[in-house]
Amino acid sequence: MIAVLQWTTLAVCALVAVLRVPSALRGENRSLFGIFALATFAIMLSINAIYLPVDAWLGSENYANLILRFLIYGVVLLAGYKIAKGFDAQRSIWLIAGPVGLTVLALVTVATVVPFLLANTAGSSTGLGTLPDQSANNVDLIKLYTVAGRFYPSFVAACLLPATMRTMRSGLPRLPRSGAAVLAVGASAMILLSLSDLLPRHLAYLQYFISSTAILGLVLGLTLMWLSRVLAAKRLVRR
Amino acid sequence: MPLPAKAFQLWLHGVAPTASTADICRISGIKRTTLAQQLVRGKVAETTLVSISRALKRSPLEDLASFDSFAELAGQPQPPTPAELVSQIATMDLLRSVISRSSPAYGGFGDDSSRLTPALSPAPHATSVRNWVDAIDDGELRHRVSAATGVAPQNYSAQLTANRLSPELAVATARAAGVGFTGGLVATGLLTEHEAGWAPEARQAALDALSDGELTALAGERLQSLGRTLRRQEQEHEQTKKIWENLG
Repeated sequence: MIAVLQWTTLAVCALVAVLRVPSALRGENRSLFGIFALATFAIMLSINAIYLPVDAWLGSENYANLILRFLIYGVVLLAGYKIAKGFDAQRSIWLIAGPVGLTVLALVTVATVVPFLLANTAGSSTGLGTLPDQSANNVDLIKLYTVAGRFYPSFVAACLLPATMRTMRSGLPRLPRSGAAVLAVGASAMILLSLSDLLPRHLAYLQYFISSTAILGLVLGLTLMWLSRVLAAKRLVRR
Repeated sequence: MPLPAKAFQLWLHGVAPTASTADICRISGIKRTTLAQQLVRGKVAETTLVSISRALKRSPLEDLASFDSFAELAGQPQPPTPAELVSQIATMDLLRSVISRSSPAYGGFGDDSSRLTPALSPAPHATSVRNWVDAIDDGELRHRVSAATGVAPQNYSAQLTANRLSPELAVATARAAGVGFTGGLVATGLLTEHEAGWAPEARQAALDALSDGELTALAGERLQSLGRTLRRQEQEHEQTKKIWENLG
């Protein structure tokens, strides 16, 4: 069930990335292609069947997970900045890419790298849930690493949510508005993901749904914006 | 609430007993699928009835009045007030009239204006619904309509902004304002002025009766709200362009 969900998410993301190749070659908004491609790689590294061979190749020390974290930070930073700029939300741009945002990113980077290096991460484990070394100290370090990894996307999502909601309720054409609505769903899911560690153990599988919703919300929301531009251009040509 | 399908079919059988559904659709220009869907759902749109009635060369107003929910329309209709008539004149026609009344030095015709300016464009116009409600509003009208019909004030306002009003709400609005029932039906474009029983020159006469001061003030108000609408549209256009530049 979870595997199906993950592979579907991957397929959607990869499809959008591939569809975006021609416009990237034409030089239209290359960063959007970057967002889709990075997101595709990130999803690949969260799937067991891909993570294990990649990590084995990297020495089975779970460096693949560290790479995954930074892929996610890259997607979130890039997407957050472009969305905030697209919605003309000066405050969000300032919070994400201004001094505040860069400070947060630096702190998160430290809080990601340091615990990872201090912890004993030997033995490949997707999502680091079943590391062989389960000593209290190691578990705490990994916990800190995970919290930092979830915090940054939530931070960016929280910065975007007001602007996204405003666009959703505005009088803009229907497609950009529905794109904003889908983005808002994705952002909400990203915020929820930070809180999902509080879920009771038997509901922990919901995390997978929440993270899929977050990434699909982001990718499909951006796709709707793109589609609205394409359709509007077509309408113009026909006239 | 649109018209109940049962009552509609009864009416249709009464007015065109021999016509098939295909005939009715052909002469009235309604798509067969549209009519079929409305009949299946049990609710027939008032516009459907009006189109058919028109095609059969009957009086849409009387046919509408034969349904229970529009029974108030029956009998001698109360004529529209001068304010209602003026509200159904397009903003550009009002402006043209302002210029026509000006001295020849400014391209006007002076006192002879109404005979020489081109005829008014037929109702409804781009903001006719809101202008109609504004013309009959005593300040509390929206509250009374929403209390009487249970439609939330913001939904009512949204309909006005979109230059729409369901026929049922149009009648309810007229009732709450104590004016004739035809004003709203003309403003929403359901009926033409002629079908509503308005005199052919009624709007022009109401316009001519306005003093220069009244006309200019009214045209000014209209122009101001048109300016607001256009500015908002321009802003939205800019926003959309920005989204496409960054995310398209």
